[in-house]
Amino acid sequence: MKPTVKTCVIGSYPVTIDSMDFIHQYYNQKEITWNPYISSAVKDMLDAGIHSISDGQTRDPFIQIFTRKLQGCRVRDRTEIVDKIAYKNPITVNDQHYVKNMLPKDKELIGVLTGPYTLSQSCIDKYYNDEKQVAFDFAYALHEEAKALQHYVDMISIDEPFFSNNFPEYAQDLIEIIIKNIRCPIRLHVCGDVSSIIADLLEMPVDILSHEFKASPKLLDAFKQYSITKKICLGCVRSDDLSIESVEEIARHIKKAQDVFGDYIVQIAPDCGQRLLPRDIAFMKLKNLVTAGETYYG
Amino acid sequence: MFTFTKDQHIVDISGYAFGGQPGKFPTVLFGGLFFKGQPDYQTAAKALKHMLQLSEKTGNPAIPDFFIKKEEYIQGIIQFIIDTLPKNHPFSIDVIEPSIKIKTLEALNDHNLLCRAIYNSIHVGITDEERDALKHNTPEMAILVAFNPKDKSPDGKIEVLENGAHLIDTGLFDIAKKVGIQKILVDTAALAPGDNSGAAIAAIPVIKEEYGLPTGCAIHNVVEKSRWLNDFSSARKTVDISSNVNIPLFGGDYAIYGSIDNSDMIFPVIAWQDILISEYTENYFGIKPDTTHPRRKLSQ
Repeated sequence: MKPTVKTCVIGSYPVTIDSMDFIHQYYNQKEITWNPYISSAVKDMLDAGIHSISDGQTRDPFIQIFTRKLQGCRVRDRTEIVDKIAYKNPITVNDQHYVKNMLPKDKELIGVLTGPYTLSQSCIDKYYNDEKQVAFDFAYALHEEAKALQHYVDMISIDEPFFSNNFPEYAQDLIEIIIKNIRCPIRLHVCGDVSSIIADLLEMPVDILSHEFKASPKLLDAFKQYSITKKICLGCVRSDDLSIESVEEIARHIKKAQDVFGDYIVQIAPDCGQRLLPRDIAFMKLKNLVTAGETYYG
Repeated sequence: MFTFTKDQHIVDISGYAFGGQPGKFPTVLFGGLFFKGQPDYQTAAKALKHMLQLSEKTGNPAIPDFFIKKEEYIQGIIQFIIDTLPKNHPFSIDVIEPSIKIKTLEALNDHNLLCRAIYNSIHVGITDEERDALKHNTPEMAILVAFNPKDKSPDGKIEVLENGAHLIDTGLFDIAKKVGIQKILVDTAALAPGDNSGAAIAAIPVIKEEYGLPTGCAIHNVVEKSRWLNDFSSARKTVDISSNVNIPLFGGDYAIYGSIDNSDMIFPVIAWQDILISEYTENYFGIKPDTTHPRRKLSQ
């Protein structure tokens, strides 16, 4: 494969949780560990041949992973904000440290942060009555996590799906807060239809833009209208569809995107996190992605 | 001392009450039998008799908690309950494996014992088969263990009660309702030493204030497994017993105190704590202790 194009994941990966196993740990008064589930996700990514992997975000849906451990938030059916949002302790760092020790030296690790705007839009605010301030305080908290995370990961990916629903005028400020003085490369992942905000996305202070190009192929045409100034993570297999894309289909998709982005493509990936797919399907999608990348880039 | 602003539910099994405002009812004490090896019925009968005498003397209700480790022990233990426990006296059955739970429920039904049975327990490990078994053979009362492997804080415990924390399809409250159990006790799930075990105590007033349900825990588990206490071996028993004092002190309604062999120590210690609480809550909040309360025995 062309050395500058790497296969990677976006974040989440499906695992089957055995609650009874936790119950045995509880009754035997063992310290509760999530490591077998993290290992299982990482092993699948490695077995599929993925180059840049994540911890699989197996603990929780992508909102609760963060809000569960932030001061001012409490998890109910949805997260409720009941006090000023603040960073208490590292959130994902222990898991990343664990994964880092599992990885062969030639593989890379992606730390994933759910973006502040998405967090703010997903919670019930019972404290601020100020949507913008909620987002900013999440951003300050995530900056602390990014500072801790950068020592363990090769790249930080900020996941902001809500930007495609509504792009706030302060979006860039939020991202700037998170990445201030962060030394590792930054990817911004926005799934959904981003065709109306491409100009704004290209202005973002990040290294790589990641989008759902397979589920929304019209995005390729939309991007053609702009002068590309950012590296691209190309979504190549759908995360919302059980059918497994063939190697040939993925290779054709890469070729089409290559015509638009040329050498700006530096990563090929699933469209989004794979948490909601059955595990065997998620695995086969990754495997075909890797083979297609090798086929296309050699 | 304090009272809760939320109305407190009182649930009853065979005349034994759980719940209410602090100082109203005595702390209910669960003593465990048959945790190790094969059931020794002779020794258990003596220990049980002694536990019931202590209960009579102090006023704290005694619930024998029968641990059933293997399927082949079910019939013997049930026969022991029939032969040894006073008629109508409630008991709890403490089983971990779902398959043994199902068989035990069937056996309890066969012997008309479900009306005296406290099911210990419903938790995130519940299977579909266990839910079906509970629907068909419904115990009078159940303990919901608010154990959340994702979040050990009081909020995490509430999450598992409310929605199952994405580990099961619904919350433990909903499961109890759907299988037809109307009388529930919440267990705040004491975790391993050093693994935020104190949250089990902190969660008691939080859950009582949020739901008004009878709440307690098995805080003794934490002490039993503590390696730190190996350096203070002569204090282990004292720490074990005294840790239970936290439960009534934080407004809790019942303590699962471990081996029934600890009854000698636990009953007077908890009765004493209940008396102190009652003296203050009556004086300050006007809460009259129930006629069975240890404080009523103090002047005798």
